[in-house]
Amino acid sequence: MSGQITLEMLDDIAAGAAFLATGGGGDPYLACLCAKEGLKTYGPAQLLDPDDLADDAFVIAVGGVGAPTTSLELLPSVDEAVRVVEAYGELVGRMPDALVSFEIGGSNSLIPIVAAAALGIPIVDGDGMGRALPEATMMTYAIAGIAPTPAVGLDYAGNTERFDVEDVKAYEPVIRRFAMERGGMAVSAEFGMSGAELKACIVSRTVTLSAELGRYLRGGEGNALEREADLAALFDGTIYGKLELIASGLVSDYTSKVVGGYDVGEATLESTVPGSPDLTVSVKNEYLAVKQGGEMLACLPDLITIVDFETARPINAERLSFGQRVSVFRIGSPAHYTTPEGLASLQGLIDTVTD
Amino acid sequence: MRIGIDVGGTHTDAVLLDGETILASCKELTSADVISGVKAALSELQRQAGTLRGLETVMIGTTQFTNAVVERRELSQVAAIRIGLPSGRGLPPGAGWPEDILEVLGEHRYALPGGYLYDGKPLSPLDDEAMRACVKDIAAKGLTNIAIASAFSPANPEPELAMAEMMKASIPDATITLSHQIGRLGLLERENAALLNAALRPFAGRVVEAFVGALSEMGITCPLYISQNDGTLMDAEFVREFPALTFSSGPTNSLRGAARLTGLEQAIVVDIGGTTSDVGVLRGGFPRESNRAVDVGGVRTNFRMPDIMALGLGGGSLVSEDGLTIGPQSVGHRLVSEALVFGGSTLTATDIVVAAGRADVGDPAKVAHLSAQTVDNAMTTMRTMLEETIRQMKPDKQPLPVVLVGGGAILAPEKLAHASQLLTPENSGVANAIGAAIALVGGEAEIFADYREEPRAAALDRAKAQACEVAVRAGGDPDDLRTTEIEETPLPYMDDGVTRIRVKVVGSLLRTANSDDGDAA
Repeated sequence: MSGQITLEMLDDIAAGAAFLATGGGGDPYLACLCAKEGLKTYGPAQLLDPDDLADDAFVIAVGGVGAPTTSLELLPSVDEAVRVVEAYGELVGRMPDALVSFEIGGSNSLIPIVAAAALGIPIVDGDGMGRALPEATMMTYAIAGIAPTPAVGLDYAGNTERFDVEDVKAYEPVIRRFAMERGGMAVSAEFGMSGAELKACIVSRTVTLSAELGRYLRGGEGNALEREADLAALFDGTIYGKLELIASGLVSDYTSKVVGGYDVGEATLESTVPGSPDLTVSVKNEYLAVKQGGEMLACLPDLITIVDFETARPINAERLSFGQRVSVFRIGSPAHYTTPEGLASLQGLIDTVTD
Repeated sequence: MRIGIDVGGTHTDAVLLDGETILASCKELTSADVISGVKAALSELQRQAGTLRGLETVMIGTTQFTNAVVERRELSQVAAIRIGLPSGRGLPPGAGWPEDILEVLGEHRYALPGGYLYDGKPLSPLDDEAMRACVKDIAAKGLTNIAIASAFSPANPEPELAMAEMMKASIPDATITLSHQIGRLGLLERENAALLNAALRPFAGRVVEAFVGALSEMGITCPLYISQNDGTLMDAEFVREFPALTFSSGPTNSLRGAARLTGLEQAIVVDIGGTTSDVGVLRGGFPRESNRAVDVGGVRTNFRMPDIMALGLGGGSLVSEDGLTIGPQSVGHRLVSEALVFGGSTLTATDIVVAAGRADVGDPAKVAHLSAQTVDNAMTTMRTMLEETIRQMKPDKQPLPVVLVGGGAILAPEKLAHASQLLTPENSGVANAIGAAIALVGGEAEIFADYREEPRAAALDRAKAQACEVAVRAGGDPDDLRTTEIEETPLPYMDDGVTRIRVKVVGSLLRTANSDDGDAA
């Protein structure tokens, strides 16, 4: 919905974005700190409902790329999202009328908000994933066939580079290399598109949903079971399918290792239902699938969110550990990922869990 | 002989040890000035033992520095210097801190270019002119407590050292905390740790003076050591420089004390007090460390803290009429007047165990009216609370021995799920003071190595040498240091090669010639 993103909403958005991050997306602490400093300086950002976006408006997607662990030492700057949008205007020759987020899961939900506030350009209520996913090729903008370039990357020192490549498959390694050569993290502005194009592929109103989810999770009390109905109601009428609590259990094993730049692992949950088989959760940065005794309970493109049973607050995959009492929610995927093109973009990930 | 003292929020516990033997022990109330409570404890030890002749060392664990941060008292103004521009623009030192503590520290914040990247390349060159201007401004303000943090300083501390050198040249009486000496990876958290440490240093000087004064009034002149949060010791001079390393040493000492009292290296330790129970895990005789960011007084840090889960169950916890709800509210230190068995009118966890015939405290007649149902329910509730926490802390599926320490250990049932055995050792009430008394000296180092350029063995040796250097500075005997932990983590975001190595060594204290062999007054 159209309105404002105020300083007071940022903690809610960060908490909600962690719920939608399906185990990935990193710790949004630093991004939230940056957004708070930004909104303190520039005032609130304008949030624009997709329905209120003009068909001929020019929109670009803004966010961070790279290895979030490097920002442990290479701190983000409050103005970097602002500067990458300005650089885009200069290098491509056109300032956008609106901004949109790469992904709502984790830090990238917050990065474009500062640019929107500082430049007085509205941010569209929605994103290109509806969750967290590891690659640019999986963004709904890419699935819809929108060209990622011309794109502009900006490093920590403010150096910029313009990229022009043939398609998103060629773009992904180029922007990743840019980030790794310049300290590990960079911001980028990409996927220039019209309002009409964005409306056809955006995962709608996820900023508003994050804020509502976060407000609910931070505000009340109750365990996952007690809060299931309220959470389901929050997803009712959104672009997502149904939210269901599919299992609760104890983490009885979790191992992960770094394979090809991803955290790959498997968690075993001892079901709280006596006599029922253990559950296994496959992880590749995000939660990909939940199986029980050979039966698939949930699988990408479903969203799988694992929460602490007592508080219903989400647990990121890197924080899973033995003995935690957790509940698993399955949330029906937005239609974007159930089309043949949408499924195809995730097929590589899906194949790793359906052998 | 050695004395261990644990200064807690409520009680000051002390023990006198001769080798393995406990010669005397006592529990005094912590006084507002801390020192008179310590003196009372020392006097009581002397009374019990007859003499404190032949004392070699005194070890003190204290919560004073944690409490100073939490309560925003005794903190000094600090000049905070971050070397990492152009990264982190708009996020100055102190970003994200609660307003009230920022005000106390004075908001003297500087950001300068410099630092390194994950791949060892410079983030940006140091800017001599900016450094000189910063020194000049700090000198003009008359600030002498200074904290310096640079990007990737655990891997390359050069920028911090260069800044410190320039500062010392202009402000000879400056006390400078360098972030690489105190924290791990995570610039913001490490910088926060350095800032808190710098703010505590003048207070640390006063605390050390007061402790030394109290001991000397008692005729004790042997060396004094203070407990660190990882269960090792630092000497009095070291604590003047690194007071923040005492955070969380209380729970650590009770875990170490439990290890000594039982001889167990792997166990779950439950320290039951008046208001809460702290549950921790012993691994190799030392506390398992937390891998989460730890808030100290609302400030995010990455100190090496023991992994402790606190639950609201203690001797003074309030019990509902039906016995189904216990805590987290507690009568606290008013237990001795408010609990039913002591003639009060509040139903507490202590009343329940007396009514169940599991403890002999106060007057059992005063709880005879409680229904069997209430007592049963409450006993079950307490057991479930403890079992749930123990289950979550357990490292794997295997049951582990559970050691009960602290004044509230009587609350625990005869049997607990997940426990291979349940132990309440003798003297468990002063486990924390014993933990202080038996502590070793430790040192830790974190380095980055590229095994393609430096053989693994050479890199490990380099890390060990650095850790030993820290241990010796803290008062350790260079000939008696052993490596207790080696952690190698390949950096996940690197294509290949670079590994982070963290090494920890521990060893005994260097025996000094001036050990106290005189008679205590």
